[in-house]
Amino acid sequence: MHRKILTAFLLLALPAFAGSDSQWVLEQCTLTYHVSHPLHQSEGVSHTARGKAVCHDGQCDFLIAVAVKSFDSGDSNRDLHMVQVTRGAQFPMVTVRTRLPEAASTSATIHADLEIQFAGQTVQYKQIAFELVTQGNQTRISGTIPATLSDFKIDPPTLLAMPVKNEMPVRVDMTWRPQ
Amino acid sequence: MLKISSCNRTSHVPAFLVFCLLVTLTARLRAQTTGTGGSTSADKPKPATQDNLPNAPSSSTTAPTLEDLGITPAQTQGSAADQARLDKRTHMLKVHQRLGLITLAPLVATFITSANAGGKNTSNTDRTVHMVLGAVSGDLYFMTAYYAIRAPKIPGTETRGPIRLHKALAWIHGPGMILTPILGALAYNQKNNGEKVHGIASAHGPVAIVTGAAFGLAVASVSLKF
Repeated sequence: MHRKILTAFLLLALPAFAGSDSQWVLEQCTLTYHVSHPLHQSEGVSHTARGKAVCHDGQCDFLIAVAVKSFDSGDSNRDLHMVQVTRGAQFPMVTVRTRLPEAASTSATIHADLEIQFAGQTVQYKQIAFELVTQGNQTRISGTIPATLSDFKIDPPTLLAMPVKNEMPVRVDMTWRPQ
Repeated sequence: MLKISSCNRTSHVPAFLVFCLLVTLTARLRAQTTGTGGSTSADKPKPATQDNLPNAPSSSTTAPTLEDLGITPAQTQGSAADQARLDKRTHMLKVHQRLGLITLAPLVATFITSANAGGKNTSNTDRTVHMVLGAVSGDLYFMTAYYAIRAPKIPGTETRGPIRLHKALAWIHGPGMILTPILGALAYNQKNNGEKVHGIASAHGPVAIVTGAAFGLAVASVSLKF
């Protein structure tokens, strides 16, 4: 009898020694890129990003992925052109990876090192500031990634022989919840 | 595991049970204070690289993958053929854009010279200049149209935005650019024969104005933001 009880307690105690993982899932996400041209200010929006975070040893590994062609600027011609210049048919996904301490979920602001794969290039952005707002079991993360076309070796598209600006900030607005 | 083995050998089972219970409860409490029920294995050594770069993207085996997000390898697989089609489309539409802008110049000049092309006392030279400029505009126009029509279509693309107006206007300036030279040729012959422009040829001016306006609007619709 004692042996059975002992075994049961041992089984309960084992996960404590091994360390249990927790996971977060991206519930809602709005990604908005902004492109400036002397004649136009354009924004492309995507709501189809997927994301997941796996926490282990007090650190959370985040992965967010979105299809290049999912961005909608309200102009199908521009969207197709965007996919072309960003080599979106050859590299259909944009992925963002980062690692954050699990304790950061209680902070109001976090600074994340991002690794972004886009247009066949991998670029790292250091210490990008994001704001965190926690409501119930949801955490909203928002911020702007200061991406540029040259970072990803993208030739600036032109209209009437005038190229767009190199700056292509991407506004991020995500809601995460524990899985 | 060493601890477990030694536990099994112990003769003080109740004391051991209390110890295991305490360990379990402590671990659970620690997990709750983190807010996510997450990491509890603080005793485990961390990779050296992560110690140096605590905020860097992870390459650890626990990091989520695209498959974890429900994204299949087929979705991540690029297509060189699709990219080539897009490249060709963009190239042809760029030529279309350039030729369209070039066409504007002789088209405007044709409109300006139209002021001296009609009337009783106009010289034959003014009329000829107008005709030649109109012919050049027509040639450039159809070259422009060719690059738009022959540009590869991308399946599954729904036309949205200003490009809809741009395409719709082609149904006005397209037929207009066919009719205008025909009517112009009729009017040119009538004038050269000393006749007053009459019949269907008298529609040359109005048709040209509508055609020119539609063409100008088509250029503006994709160049300027309304």
